[in-house]
Amino acid sequence: MNHLPVLLVALYLAAALGLPLLGRNKKFPAGLFAVGVAGCGLILAAASAWHVAGTGTYSYFPGGHQAPLGIEITIDWVTVFLHLTINLLAVLVLIYSTADLSRELGGGRAKTWYYSLFFLLLAALNGIVMAFDLFNIFVFTEIGTIAACALVAIRPKRLCVEAAFKYLVLSALGSGMVLLGIGLLYMVTGYLNIGAMAQALPKAFAMYPWNVLVALSLFVIGLGTKAALFPLHVWLPDAHSSAPTPSSAALSGLVIKVYAVAMARIIFQAYGAELFSRIPVPDVILVFSTAGIFAGSVLAIGQTDIKRMLAYSSVAQIGYIFLGFALVTMNGIVGGILHIFCHAVMKSLLFLAAGAIIFKTGIRKIEDLAGMGYRMPLTMAAFSIGALSMVGIPGFSGFISKYYLAFGALAADKPVYVAVILLSSLLNAVYFFPIVVRAFFGHKEKQMTWDRLPWAMTVPMVVLAALTVILGILPGGLVRIAELAAGAWLN
Amino acid sequence: MIAKLISNMHFLTAMVLFLIGFHTMLTHSNLIKKVMGMNIMETGIFLFFISVGYVRGGSSPIAVPGAEGYINPLPSALILTGIVVSVSLTAFALALIVKLYNYYGTVDADKIMQLRGGEE
Repeated sequence: MNHLPVLLVALYLAAALGLPLLGRNKKFPAGLFAVGVAGCGLILAAASAWHVAGTGTYSYFPGGHQAPLGIEITIDWVTVFLHLTINLLAVLVLIYSTADLSRELGGGRAKTWYYSLFFLLLAALNGIVMAFDLFNIFVFTEIGTIAACALVAIRPKRLCVEAAFKYLVLSALGSGMVLLGIGLLYMVTGYLNIGAMAQALPKAFAMYPWNVLVALSLFVIGLGTKAALFPLHVWLPDAHSSAPTPSSAALSGLVIKVYAVAMARIIFQAYGAELFSRIPVPDVILVFSTAGIFAGSVLAIGQTDIKRMLAYSSVAQIGYIFLGFALVTMNGIVGGILHIFCHAVMKSLLFLAAGAIIFKTGIRKIEDLAGMGYRMPLTMAAFSIGALSMVGIPGFSGFISKYYLAFGALAADKPVYVAVILLSSLLNAVYFFPIVVRAFFGHKEKQMTWDRLPWAMTVPMVVLAALTVILGILPGGLVRIAELAAGAWLN
Repeated sequence: MIAKLISNMHFLTAMVLFLIGFHTMLTHSNLIKKVMGMNIMETGIFLFFISVGYVRGGSSPIAVPGAEGYINPLPSALILTGIVVSVSLTAFALALIVKLYNYYGTVDADKIMQLRGGEE
């Protein structure tokens, strides 16, 4: 037994509790401390991944009480993959936030509170992906929900508070449904542990089919609301576009996907792929994710505010992840899992680049971006790399996940979804390319005026852009982990 | 049928409460009423959980001489956590409403939407 993954959650919880105390000292460098803690988190996640690569996946029992009486925590490849994604992104976003937050939050102790909430969110996200117990998933989900809403509402603007309230109400509806679903399953199986439940469910399904089916639909709708599955996405554009930039990057890049993973874990590991595909739920999810992919893209085309456009694009991108999971084929799930990482990297990159433009120039309107390539060449280059990857140009990481999704659709004998992926890529191009073209070619004076950014902003963007390109050319290792993860879900 | 319903009264009540809360949350424009709906919905879920663990004639799960059958203690323990979650959600929602009232001078969602207008 290896304690690293559990220490990860403990570290973040301790940091979240300790920060307000340490922050009482006015000279306390909260930003530096936050980056350091997240760095430790990344090291822990990497060490845990190294351990799993050496000795294989395992289950962890807090207090040594064995399942099903004790609580089980699973350290499988999905957990490892998500832990690496979450903590890597967290470090980069926190580095960025040290330069950006003073402008968005104003002075005072707001920064300390912000980092405290951010660590609470990280603890919840890391917890959700390794919980192997329905009630644990619920509790971490709630911690994550409150922290995420607070990260939107912390900015002293009325729009943010309103967006956060909408987010909170819809999330609370979702969590109510999830809790009711957990109750319905507990009623017929007598377990909360996902592994024990998987064994009890076929018999329970034969005796009480309605309980099991209603619980499944409650999970899909409840977690779908939190993950912004179309048409339950209504809270997302306001919340993600009005939040401070580091929050936007973390919310769009990480939070919505973790709920998608929680849903997939319940579906594949409690219900099992076989039972799941015997009832027409995958087809329903496929229809909704397709509708989301198109609706998100079409709505994004109509936006004039750059952060709002990126938020709508997240609605479309989460559709790809659900599409991959609902295909219930090896390649489809690999594509979905890969897209979690690829989208996390490129959407954070795009949000950080947009945030840097707003930081330096205050420009939020897309039409005002003309000539920005000459004022902020590095930022716009990073933005262009993210945009190309979003569209799925070969050589960028976005292409790899779409490639696997397309193969998954073929393997599932549903070639129409290949067409969906191709067409939606074209739609992505419709709203991303004009920005890139306008920024580099849309201005008369081709005078280079280099607006320098703080290094804390450029470094995360350069790293993310490099990751997008490197993983687009050499995706081998990432694909291997995603295949191992998907293999565990399909058995 | 009716007898069955009456003997499972608590499940029926739980579902009715859940739906009342759900409906209140989605249809009322008053933000305070939305929060009330949230609480009613969660109460319905708590009642449902407690009913799942209830054993007719069972005694509380403490080993005492002469007890025949115990009530399942797990759902009650879970709901204790559920109540804590619900209280924190309510507190946070109310705090947001206070802030919204300071910014907009109203707690009506429709009026807030009007005031907001085309503001980005």
